[in-house]
Amino acid sequence: MIASTQVVDVRIEQYLNRLEAALAGVESGQREDILREIRAHLLDSAASAADRDGAVDRVLRMLGSPEELAERYSTECLLQRAGRSVSPWLLLRTCWRWAMLGTKGMLAFFLALIGYGTALVLTVSIFMKPFDSAVGLWLGVGKCCTLQVGTPDHPERMHELLGQWFVPVIAVVAFGAAIGTTRALRWMIRSRTSSLTDPVMQTGRSAI
Amino acid sequence: MAINGNGERGQNWEAQLRKGCLEMAILATMWQSRLYGLEILRELAGKSQLEIAEGTLYPILGRLKAEGLLQSEWVEAEAGHPRKYYWLTAAGRLRVREMAGAWNEFAAKLAALVEPVTGGKER
Repeated sequence: MIASTQVVDVRIEQYLNRLEAALAGVESGQREDILREIRAHLLDSAASAADRDGAVDRVLRMLGSPEELAERYSTECLLQRAGRSVSPWLLLRTCWRWAMLGTKGMLAFFLALIGYGTALVLTVSIFMKPFDSAVGLWLGVGKCCTLQVGTPDHPERMHELLGQWFVPVIAVVAFGAAIGTTRALRWMIRSRTSSLTDPVMQTGRSAI
Repeated sequence: MAINGNGERGQNWEAQLRKGCLEMAILATMWQSRLYGLEILRELAGKSQLEIAEGTLYPILGRLKAEGLLQSEWVEAEAGHPRKYYWLTAAGRLRVREMAGAWNEFAAKLAALVEPVTGGKER
């Protein structure tokens, strides 16, 4: 009789092949490690069960599809790196991934867009100032409270607030927006309570 | 979400509660000995009724290791394939001790708060 652990289950191999393909973005040493670990888990689960086929079925379901599992690995890895990063690009990418997984991630992603967007627009306006003296922080005169950064449509009805202080003040505000957004995102990422532990839905019941 | 029925909301709340404790629970399973993934799952299911999916566990283990809370090593087993054992690093022990302390304090205070509710006393 062939020991059950030596029987190569076709389904296990198929699963691992798809997982390997899905993990293409992961560094190769780490990818090998993940595949070995999942293989060991499948073989162990099968070996200890009376109904080998049933056990493999169950575990494959609990693992989720290879693509889902790979997604979880790379998102966990991204979140871990982003929690310590100051790179807006990495933070934005991470929030984009996170946004797919739930409302908190979506919130973080919109915050990232608005925060970094504001910083970017303000920075662009600073660089435009030397070429276009109409760029400024304009306050509407007729209607009391129209604030506008950039060139106004009706300069005659508005006046500019900052004058020669435009560049330094807007630079500080842009810098503040970028730093503030970064800090807020890092805080959100770090304080997430295992946000990726959403249930593998098809398993039903209370499995987390 | 007002559209959810009471039962569904209760279940959802319970799932959130379990999720929040998951990281502490996973770390705590390794307090006394090195374990591999399947053992961690069984430990969780057996002792705390936290039935987590393997697709959830392994990526979390990977992250906890990347955060320096866990260390791991491949060990040959008689099963014919090696198994990846995890154990707590010094930082991991410190973290889980802090978490457990906070948990106990919180649980004790909440227990006192809900005591009249579960004790069946009417006002």
